This record gives sequence, structure tokens and C-alpha cells, in this order.
Amino acid sequence: MNDLAIELTGICKKYRYFSLDKISLKLPQGEIMGLIGANGAGKSTTIRILMGLIHQDDGEARVLGYPMPAEQVAAKRDIGFASEDMRLYDSMTLGWHTSFIQSIYPNWDAAYAQVLLKRFGLRADQKIKGLSHGQRVKSTLLLVLARKPKLLVLDEPTTGLDPVARHEILRELANVMADEGRSILFSSHNTQDVEQISDRITFIDRGRIIDSMDKELYLDRWRRLRLEVPSGVHLPALPGVIDVRQQGRLAVATANAFVPGLANAYETSGARVQCIENMTLEEIFVANVEHSREEVEA
Amino acid sequence: MTDSVIPQLIRKDLRLHRLQMVVSFGAGVLALAVMQRGGEVSLVLGSTWYFVAIIVLACLLPISMVQNERKKQTLAFVMSLPVSYIQYTTAKMVSTVLMFLAPWLMLLICALTLITTRNTLPHGAIPMILIMALLPVVGFSLILAAALVSESEGWAIAATVICNSTYGIAWYLITKTPSLTANWTGHVAIWDQAVLRLLSAEVGLVALMIGLTFLLQSRKRDFI
Repeated sequence: MNDLAIELTGICKKYRYFSLDKISLKLPQGEIMGLIGANGAGKSTTIRILMGLIHQDDGEARVLGYPMPAEQVAAKRDIGFASEDMRLYDSMTLGWHTSFIQSIYPNWDAAYAQVLLKRFGLRADQKIKGLSHGQRVKSTLLLVLARKPKLLVLDEPTTGLDPVARHEILRELANVMADEGRSILFSSHNTQDVEQISDRITFIDRGRIIDSMDKELYLDRWRRLRLEVPSGVHLPALPGVIDVRQQGRLAVATANAFVPGLANAYETSGARVQCIENMTLEEIFVANVEHSREEVEA
Repeated sequence: MTDSVIPQLIRKDLRLHRLQMVVSFGAGVLALAVMQRGGEVSLVLGSTWYFVAIIVLACLLPISMVQNERKKQTLAFVMSLPVSYIQYTTAKMVSTVLMFLAPWLMLLICALTLITTRNTLPHGAIPMILIMALLPVVGFSLILAAALVSESEGWAIAATVICNSTYGIAWYLITKTPSLTANWTGHVAIWDQAVLRLLSAEVGLVALMIGLTFLLQSRKRDFI
């Protein structure tokens, strides 16, 4: 059995004003990957290709071992997909939706559906049109989770939710991962959400994957060094430093491959290291995107 | 697990849109009730309402069952299920055709029963009634094909406008064709070559529209 839940290799898709450029990424089974990108970066297009909803122009997509889009029917039996722009039938109740999904998925866990109903504060007899946005998202998630999928693909599921609803949904996703066989691909432009639950992080910008690695590794490797630079001292270009911004005697260096030796190297050059700061995932994302764009434009 | 979720998708659509089917059938029955009262005014009024009920259903169903799925963003929900786009097209086609043909057929049977049992119209008019009643089926197939293939409300509305403006012209031309009208006041239904050719052409157009829809859908690369 293939031990990768998702494997995209050299995926290309060209539109008039946007294209995906050789997207390659791997999600091992049992892991949560956060796909972070700005609006229009290519997250949804990538997800639609791996769901078989859009055909790639070039490259290979395999999901749970199935080639996509050719075997999307078989693959989608084990995928739970929810996206921000997905809606349920307004005129029907949540109970009707659960019966409909239950008729399609034999693995439907009615007891777990009841637990989620209670946990999310939903009512089965309520029509979808009477639900708030948060309740609709929770309803969709209930329908996805209770079918016990091997892979969850969630495209911006927390967009537009209040903090309490976001917290409830992220907590439930964390619970889902108690089953070690499950995998989740979670796209968002909200780095806080992704940081909370992801094992691996992939950054996407302007249709290209700009970085993909273990979350802890990101947080470990990225540092911001605040430097005091006496007049006459020139900061050296050091490996692992992707950006240096200097204003007068003060400079800020951003490192994407921090090692303690970096600080020593600046000290040796005559600068004084005032402090070394950890970076949040959002700061890492922004620095990464800016660096990538500069590289492309250079 | 069953191999295909097409039956579940069809049942879902029938459940979601059954009200439209019931209302249009009710309107058609009402029209037939008016028709069978006798008299020229009742006949004209009843037959007009009868065709209006069928034409409205032919326009409304593809818009509400196909276009609204896209417009109201429930298509993503359906396509997240284990279904390919061709299976989705098949399910949508079957459910929409069923929803249209069920009341259409029932109303046609009611109309023919009225003619044959109560002599509302001469029996010679039966072939003409069939020819005229099949026109909305052709129109329905065109609107459904436009809605499914174009994925655009604009094209579906354009197809609706074209169909609705063509019915009047087509009916006028049919009633002005001597080979078709020669026997319609007779006491016996005559199924001559002219009638059979026109009926075959209508059925052929419906089959062509369905075939083209499947061909074009199977060549699509982007579905959402």
C-alpha cells in the first residue's frame, strides 16, 4: 500500500491570467499538512486538481494511491472534502443531509454524528437556511467527519468564523487525528489556524510552491537578528540570511537557516547582535513570500 | 457499497424539486378540466393553459435543477461525493427528464383520454396534439443541454427565449401545412407519412440533444 496520502508531481495548469507552475508536494499518511497562501495563490486550484474537479494540463496527481482525475470515484469514497464555497441545500434539514450522506457511505458512524451534533450545538430538524455561517460550516464538517474518511481535504474551512467556532472546529480536527491512519490537508490564509494543528507546512504563492517542510523545523530555522552596525562596518552576505534591512545604525537580518554561528559571524564583522528573535508562522510566511518574489523578479 | 451513487443523486433531485412537478401537474389538470367543460372559449382557454403549464415546466426545471446547483454552490457538495462528472451528468439528466416527462406524460394521457372518451375534439386531431405536445419536449432538451453544457445562466436563458419564441412560429407553420391539417377534423386519427416524419424528427432532435450533451460533457476538463 502507498504510504502517501497525497502525491503531486509537476502539476501544471494554465489559465489566462493565472497558472500553477510545476506543483509538487507529498503528504504522508497520518499527517496534517497546512497549505498557506495569500488569496489567489493557487490553493483552491491545487485542491480541486487533487479532488479530480479540475484536470491538470501536465503532471501527475495521486490521492490515496489513486491517479486523479482518472480514478476520482474510488478515491473520493475515502476522502472527506469541504471548502469555503461549498453550500448545503437551503430548503432541507441537516437530518435530511445526514440521511443522504449515510445512503452513500457505508462507514457512516451514526453515534459519532450524534456526538458531533451535540458538540457543535446543532439540531438535526433545523433547515439549513435558518443556520448561521458558523453553524453551516459545522454542519458540513459533521457530514464530512462522520463518514470516517481516510483523508480530509479542507479548503479554507475556518474563513469567516468567529473565534469560538474556529476553536471548536480546530479542536475537532485535532480529535480526528487521534486515529493515526487519518491525514488532513488544510488550506488557509490564516497562519494561526494552520499553526495550531499542522505537522507540515507548505507555502504557495503565485502558483508555485515556495517552501514545504515540518512545522517545527520552520519555527526552528527561521530567526530575526536585530543588529547594531557601527559606522564603517559593512554587514557581510552570509549563507542562510535571506534579507537584511538597515536604517542608519540599526539593521534587521532575517535567516531561514539559522545556526548560532550566524550571530558569531556578524559579531566578527564588527556588528553587535542586540537580540535574536523567534518568528511566528505568519512572519515566516510573509518573509518567505517576499523573498520568493524578489528571487523571481531578479 | 454500491458501485455508483447515481440512484441516490436521482432520488435527491426528485425529493428536492417534487413541488414544481406537483404544481405544474395540478395546473395542467386544471386546464384540462376547463377544456372539458365544452364550448370554444373553454377549449381555447384550457388548451392555452395546458401548454403554458408544460412550457413553464420545460423552462423552469433545467434552470432550477442545473443552474441553481451551480449558482447556490451546492455543486461542490455533490462533486465531493464519489461521483465523476459523467455520472453527475447522467444523474442530472435522468432526474430532470423524469421530473419533466412524468407530468408531461400524465397530462398527455389525460388530454387523450378526454378526447377519446368525451369527444372534446375530433379524434383526427390526436396526431396534431402529439406533434404539438412534443415540441415542448424538444425545447426542454435544448434548454437542459444549454444549462448543463454552458454552465452559464445567460446561455440557459437564451435557449429558453429561443424555444419560447419558436413554439408559436412552429405551431403556426404546422397548422398551415395542408398535409398535416387535412385529417385533423376527421373522426379517425390518421397516422400518415407527414405526421410520422414530423414525430420522428422531434424524437430525433431530442435524442441528438441528449447525445451531444453527453459528448460535450465527457470532453470537459474543468467542472467547478
